[in-house]
Amino acid sequence: MISTNIPANKTVLLSLLRADFTTQWRNRRSVILILLIPVIILISWKGLVLKLGGAFVLSNCITIGLNAIGLMGYSNAIARDRDKGIFQRLRVAPLTAWSIMVSRLTVQLVMILLVTTAVFAGGYFADNILLTPAGYLVGFVMAFVGGAVYLGLGQAIVGLVKNAETVNAVTRLVYFLFIMVGMFAELGALGNIVSNAAKWSPYGTVKHILSAGMQPATWNQHSTMALLATIGYALVFSALGIKWFKWTSK
Amino acid sequence: MAHPLAAIVLQVEDLHVSYGNFTAVRNISFDVRAGEIFGLLGPNGAGKTSTLSAVEGLLQPQSGRVTVAGYDVKEKPLHARANLGVQLQATNFQPELTVAEILQLYAGIHGVPLTKEKLQQILASIKLEDAAKKRFGQLSGGQQQRVSLIIAMIHNPQLVLLDEPTTGLDPQSRRQLWERMEGLRDNNHAILLTTHSMEEAEAVCDRIAIIDHGKIIAIDTPQTLIDTHRHDPEVISVSRKGKITLEDVFIGLTGRTVRS
Repeated sequence: MISTNIPANKTVLLSLLRADFTTQWRNRRSVILILLIPVIILISWKGLVLKLGGAFVLSNCITIGLNAIGLMGYSNAIARDRDKGIFQRLRVAPLTAWSIMVSRLTVQLVMILLVTTAVFAGGYFADNILLTPAGYLVGFVMAFVGGAVYLGLGQAIVGLVKNAETVNAVTRLVYFLFIMVGMFAELGALGNIVSNAAKWSPYGTVKHILSAGMQPATWNQHSTMALLATIGYALVFSALGIKWFKWTSK
Repeated sequence: MAHPLAAIVLQVEDLHVSYGNFTAVRNISFDVRAGEIFGLLGPNGAGKTSTLSAVEGLLQPQSGRVTVAGYDVKEKPLHARANLGVQLQATNFQPELTVAEILQLYAGIHGVPLTKEKLQQILASIKLEDAAKKRFGQLSGGQQQRVSLIIAMIHNPQLVLLDEPTTGLDPQSRRQLWERMEGLRDNNHAILLTTHSMEEAEAVCDRIAIIDHGKIIAIDTPQTLIDTHRHDPEVISVSRKGKITLEDVFIGLTGRTVRS
């Protein structure tokens, strides 16, 4: 038996992170798109700020951004790399499977941070929405919790669907459905039953905890229930995503 | 050819792989020694890829044991993989990364320090000094194979797996790759090569195993295989030029039927 040195986890993770962040940077057009959509919606909803409140508008925009990160960005990147055999190539190196995913998810956490910051900044400069420091802080925390729901959902879709192009189609459909049903139902356009269902959907609960988190004084029992439901969604989607996920599409 | 007493780098014992009701590999055994190029030949669906996947630790066999440099792939997967260099069939690198970035990534995950000078030396050794900032997809097929091979070798592994490395290469690039393989053998690396090219197997392999329907049906040096089977009626019947070649032996043993 030959004496063998296994590279330290830190070294492996740093190498993976550098490559994953570089890949994300080279795909900056899609990054900009993910950042721009919520900011554009934010600006176009200027008139609603007084009517519905700053937190309502900000939480909707952040939720749309989180949707885009988990369903459009992350899931499609994972599906493409699986299809191309990039994961299999990495897996024959002396590293653990979790380190590959931790690196990928870290990039997405930074994306969540960027989207949330962009919406907060857009809200301040375009619509004069100013939250308390606690509101910003809890808003960021809730964005990470909410982001986990959509990353988990994206992972579950990639686990369920093998073909990268089908993953792309399914995630676009789910993204569109979530946003359209979520927004219109909340405004009462789809009737009471759909409105109630949407309130407890992954879109509704994430939107609610963001909105309530940005105004900590308004946090109530419904907010706690929404937070628990959000955590539940994140856990269930992630568990299914991990269970169903295959490293190869063949 | 490897010395009979050369250290066994890869040992496959009674390997059995099945997917549901389908058995891909049926209790095969072989070993690859230091300083040896060992060819694994077989028609499509014969069990080559499953065997390689088991060696790489990408699938769990139903039974049997695989060791790389003495490390059990199942019990010590990271140690086994640290002694393993792999060149897969397709290009498997992030298309957004440059050649230099891919080399840095794989050096990093193998714990190999890579300075700028070292990086340039590596690229110079494969005649790609100017390719550091090129994306992998911008390279020609031959250049991609050279990069893939150098990445497989970046941590100086005991065992190198080459999965159909010359597919799609022009004759010059193919010859160059053969020379690189022979260079690795001269440096005492063990090489497990899969190929559909009998010419390649005959040219570079010290020993060959022919696998079909998940079983090894012949294992020996290319010349011994030819000599042993030159009088088989099946081999003579598929011979085209009156001279028995390794391809005739291969087709004679595995049949004329095209596999999907």
